Amino acid sequence: MTGTLHIALTFDDRYWAPAYAVMRSISLASNRRPDLVFHLIHTGISPASRAHLDSFANEFPVAINHIALDQHQAYKAFVADLPIAKPFSPVIYARLLLDRLLPETAQRIVYLDCDTFVRAPIETLFAENLGGKPIGAVLDAHRHMQMLGRDLRQNSDVFSYNFPYFNSGVLLIDRTAYASADMPGRTMELHRQGLLSRLQYDQAALNLVFKDNWHNLDWRWNVICPEPAHEVLDPFILHYTGPRKPWSLLPGAAFARLYRHVMTNDIFYAFWRERLRARLPGLLKVLVPK
Amino acid sequence: MNTAGPLHIALTFDDYFWAPAYATMRSVCLTTRRRTDLVFHLFHWQLADENRAILDAIGTEFGARIIHTALAENAAVRALLARLPGTKSFPPVVYARLLLNQLLPAEVERVLYLDSDVYVRAPVETLIGIDLEGKTLAAAPEPGRHHLVRGNDMKTRMGPFDPADPYFNSGVLLIDRARWGEARLPDYLESLITSGQLNALYHDQDVLNLKFLGDVTLLDPRWNLTKPHPALRALDPFIVHYTTGMKPWNTLAYVAFGSSYKHVMTRAVLRRYAAYRRRRWLAGLFSPKA
Repeated sequence: MTGTLHIALTFDDRYWAPAYAVMRSISLASNRRPDLVFHLIHTGISPASRAHLDSFANEFPVAINHIALDQHQAYKAFVADLPIAKPFSPVIYARLLLDRLLPETAQRIVYLDCDTFVRAPIETLFAENLGGKPIGAVLDAHRHMQMLGRDLRQNSDVFSYNFPYFNSGVLLIDRTAYASADMPGRTMELHRQGLLSRLQYDQAALNLVFKDNWHNLDWRWNVICPEPAHEVLDPFILHYTGPRKPWSLLPGAAFARLYRHVMTNDIFYAFWRERLRARLPGLLKVLVPK
Repeated sequence: MNTAGPLHIALTFDDYFWAPAYATMRSVCLTTRRRTDLVFHLFHWQLADENRAILDAIGTEFGARIIHTALAENAAVRALLARLPGTKSFPPVVYARLLLNQLLPAEVERVLYLDSDVYVRAPVETLIGIDLEGKTLAAAPEPGRHHLVRGNDMKTRMGPFDPADPYFNSGVLLIDRARWGEARLPDYLESLITSGQLNALYHDQDVLNLKFLGDVTLLDPRWNLTKPHPALRALDPFIVHYTTGMKPWNTLAYVAFGSSYKHVMTRAVLRRYAAYRRRRWLAGLFSPKA
């Protein structure tokens, strides 16, 4: 398979450094670096963060396409009423607009969450046969609680226990078929039915829209909650869901040390200081009450 | 599947590893029904006579054939090993596997090389009989390869490997003897010594990966499960490789199958080995540092 490899990331300024690490992990593991195009779809990115991201193209011969959502009317109108709760931000819904945000030339797209770490040539994922399905994804190992909630009965009007529910952090997308599904319209419909706020946002919307119409990828393309014991399974993409993030100082996550070197130590510690500074006012309030 | 004929297995070790080599051999014997087809080629360095006698007991217990080769008695090998770099964890004898073509009897066409810190849990004939697809050897991917080949920040070691290339662990190698011989590894090793390049390489593993790049069939990681955390027991690995400092012969070893391993080694040999290591440790306290 030849041609451009279009990769989309969506994030806000809290995730600029993990986005950098995702891009660098892809570039290190790929045999087709000049074919890589990163579509960085972001909101609220500071000039300093953007400069860091742009500096990446000095190390690898890749293309970076910024898509700033701050002034994007269609995006703003779409997310204005959609529910969201911490730690998520409305930018998670941007993946539902990929067919409207990316250039027409991007016919096959890999979407990645910014808490992923790619260890295998991404072109292998692009070459996957989707069997005529609009998307490829991996069955979510934590799907039962994610779908059904507390006591596995909270959302039993929407999902059955055996519903084939995928994780939306790694998606291989056929752009034409994806556009045909009209994700924004269907998502608004779910919202109007009052479903979105009690389900898992974009992931639930994707699963409901593409029910029985997605290609199940090898599980190693999206290994969630990866712990050190999983390293020997040689995962293709690690997905740091849950509290163990590799950018923490004591991460307890698989390949955490390697991840720090992929992010590079300079950025790893700059990112850590940045988060510490952001938390200081809150910490001071706790430590020094009025 | 190899259904008839001898099953050739090679181990290279020094006296310190006499008991783990015994456990490796015994694990091979326990999990195959073709015990009398087994031929163990033991290439050892300064193996004490009393330890050699214990290794020979494998032949009595299982009917396997054992062929000893004392490396120190071969002047050419002795001269070569003396010129090779070594550390406490990786003494020069680790390079002996590169000399297999020169050391093995002429009739050996296919050989399985095993490190002496492995525990075989599946019939070895299954591995020996696999299709090598015209390649010189089969080996499992090294999960820690990216950091190993690229260094800190993934940019302090810019060669000779590209992190996008496959890279295997050299602890379990299925070898096509004729093709392996054509690679003329001793000459290659000599050229690396002369050029000084060997000092920048990660022991025998880098040498083999460099020489056989693109000429390797990658095995299921379960044929060489490194860093075996107890959680990985559920994968029912075929060969467990105790690569970290946590070795199953230590009293408190948090590793997969640590308890089974001790019974494979047998409690008598385990006790004897513990006493042996205590003596070595005490002797080390009073011997002058090199």
